[in-house]
Amino acid sequence: MINYRIVAVVKRELKEKLFSKSFLLTTFLIPLFMLGIIVVQGVIMQFQGDKNTVLEIIVESPSLLKELQTAFSQNKSIEEAKYSLSYRHMSRAQVDGYIEEKNKSLSAGKIDGIVFIPESAINDKSIEYYSKTPKAFAVTSKVSGLVNACLMDVYFRERNIADEDLNYARMNVDVKTFKVTEEKAVEETGMGNTILAYIFAFFLYLSLIMIGTMTMQTVMDEKTGRISEILLSSVHSRELLAGKILGVSITGVIQMAIWLSPILMLASTTWFALPPQISIDVSPGLLLYFLLNYFIGLLTFVGLYAAVGSIFDNQQDAQSGVWPLLLLIMIPFFMTFSMFNNPDNPVVNVASLLPFASIMIMPVKMTVADVAVWKIILSFCINVATVCIIFKLAGKIYRVGILRTGTKPKWSQIVKWIRYNY
Amino acid sequence: MNALEVIHLTKTFNTITAVDDASFEVPDGCIFGLIGRNGAGKTTTLRLLMNIYMPDRGEVKLRGNPIGQEFRSKSGYLPEERGLYKRMRVLDTLLYFAEIKGKTGKEIHRSAEEYLERFDLLDRKMSKLEDLSKGNQQKIQFIITVLHDPDFIILDEPFSGMDPINTNLLKEIILEMKRKGKVILFSTHLMDFAEKLCDHIAMIDHGKIILKGSLQDIKSKYSRQNISLEHTGDISFLNGHPIVEKISDFGNSKGIRVKKPEDIQTLLKLLVDHNVGVTKFNANEISLHEIFIELAGSEADTSVVDKVHHDQL
Repeated sequence: MINYRIVAVVKRELKEKLFSKSFLLTTFLIPLFMLGIIVVQGVIMQFQGDKNTVLEIIVESPSLLKELQTAFSQNKSIEEAKYSLSYRHMSRAQVDGYIEEKNKSLSAGKIDGIVFIPESAINDKSIEYYSKTPKAFAVTSKVSGLVNACLMDVYFRERNIADEDLNYARMNVDVKTFKVTEEKAVEETGMGNTILAYIFAFFLYLSLIMIGTMTMQTVMDEKTGRISEILLSSVHSRELLAGKILGVSITGVIQMAIWLSPILMLASTTWFALPPQISIDVSPGLLLYFLLNYFIGLLTFVGLYAAVGSIFDNQQDAQSGVWPLLLLIMIPFFMTFSMFNNPDNPVVNVASLLPFASIMIMPVKMTVADVAVWKIILSFCINVATVCIIFKLAGKIYRVGILRTGTKPKWSQIVKWIRYNY
Repeated sequence: MNALEVIHLTKTFNTITAVDDASFEVPDGCIFGLIGRNGAGKTTTLRLLMNIYMPDRGEVKLRGNPIGQEFRSKSGYLPEERGLYKRMRVLDTLLYFAEIKGKTGKEIHRSAEEYLERFDLLDRKMSKLEDLSKGNQQKIQFIITVLHDPDFIILDEPFSGMDPINTNLLKEIILEMKRKGKVILFSTHLMDFAEKLCDHIAMIDHGKIILKGSLQDIKSKYSRQNISLEHTGDISFLNGHPIVEKISDFGNSKGIRVKKPEDIQTLLKLLVDHNVGVTKFNANEISLHEIFIELAGSEADTSVVDKVHHDQL
């Protein structure tokens, strides 16, 4: 069990990792990086690329023309995007010739598009759009929305329907979501927890890979720097590995706790009032579970990464050994996305109880859905058992690996190492 | 009394038997040399001693009891392939390696500073290892080996890659430790060092112990039919002569082995009769190197070994 040698190794790892500049740097840079991604995504979504669009709107029925003119000139998004619009009244027969005539301007980009609204549109809502790039969704969606509203107005006005009824018809259905749990009263939910689940998944994914790779590098450094043998004359390889895994994992958990503290504050205090659409509903218990689960995940993956590091003595070779580990982290990460459509889908339900996958999927699932307690306990037990098996296996590979130099070993050789009495 | 007993130690890697049924004894308070050419099984033997490898068969006993963690804590080990954490500070490194041997506290801190002072490195105690010269890094490694005041000092090819100043420094440490009654066990392929430093030796070749015992006994046993000769003039007439068993050329000197101890006088007479200028005729001297060649044969790599040790002396 834990002895003074393991404690010494843990202390050294903490000194090296926790009290280092790179710890400070990653602790603050990773949330910034995540924020950056969200901001960039937002900016890209904003930038629809339809600024200064030049459109000609041709209407067959004069009664519609005025409606459209008012609708377009009063629309905010059209105004923001600085559309320049010109309106024409033309019959069906003239349109074809007109398009032909404007062909040059269209292909040269002087005019971005011509919208033709025939008389028949009142009945079948079918309009035409002529452009060099007809699939410009940003343009057609704006136009079709406005045209639809105008067509509805004209259509219903002729039928003498009260404005009240008309407004009703225009309304969309508003789905309010409620989360039902066994213990708590029914609560209305916003998007907050979905965003939080996304953040959790992203944190787990990023930090498992980052901390794993870092550990692999330090193990390789110890090996190529010929430090291992001096260490092994005092410390058993199992103790060395245990100390290393513990030290790195404790550092990781502290880092995660720092990252989670703002979330805890948001969830448990009223200092920062979030709008109801994105209010967060997490208990401190869930955050604690998240940390514990993360600690076990680190023990598992850091052990695996350390074993891989001990096998190879250069970065290039190590890349070939690391991809199975990357898959073990990436596949569950992508599975978590399926939860945003339906947190209770069968793939996720099974994966939340599988070794490795469970580490990422269970906490994310608990954030967006109610999970039965027995499932949480079962997945926890499975993860602890996985740690024990991984530690045994990794220990054997590590023991042989750190003293071995020279040619890159084959996988079949590595399997043999596990059986060696080294 | 024997401090360590190595009993029928065997270690196989895949198909290669690195250490093959090796048995030898290390007496208390001596400097013990494990001698053999590169790849003979020296490092594997030492790693088995340090519990870095598990033996397939056999065991090592420390004063009658099987060795374990206790022996590791009481030993200072300097491997042949030696490195340190480059970004760790000098003093932190020393204290860390003492800590994993179970030594912490003010006393070890003071002792570390004393050693640093002795090796002119006290002003570098807060430097990172990577900022030290290679020679100074080696000094730090010596300090690590002895800082926790071990009873056993185990050195694997200690003189390889060392400059003359550090070679002397290490010799000093070894002799000082001997005076303190510690057991020093080192492996080397440099026969001259072994000859100058060791009280006891074991020779290993292809994993097998081919010779062991006190250096004095071994030398007197082998020197009775051996003459170390330095001369001017031609001695080719001795080739195939009935009293001569073997002539080895060591450059400056020749090693001549006669068939019977009483042939020594005949040999001297022969040399005088043939007008050979004898500058040195030592009938009681045989070098460890000569004994080694005699027992293990002069395969290609011993000439390399020979060259290396002459370069380093």
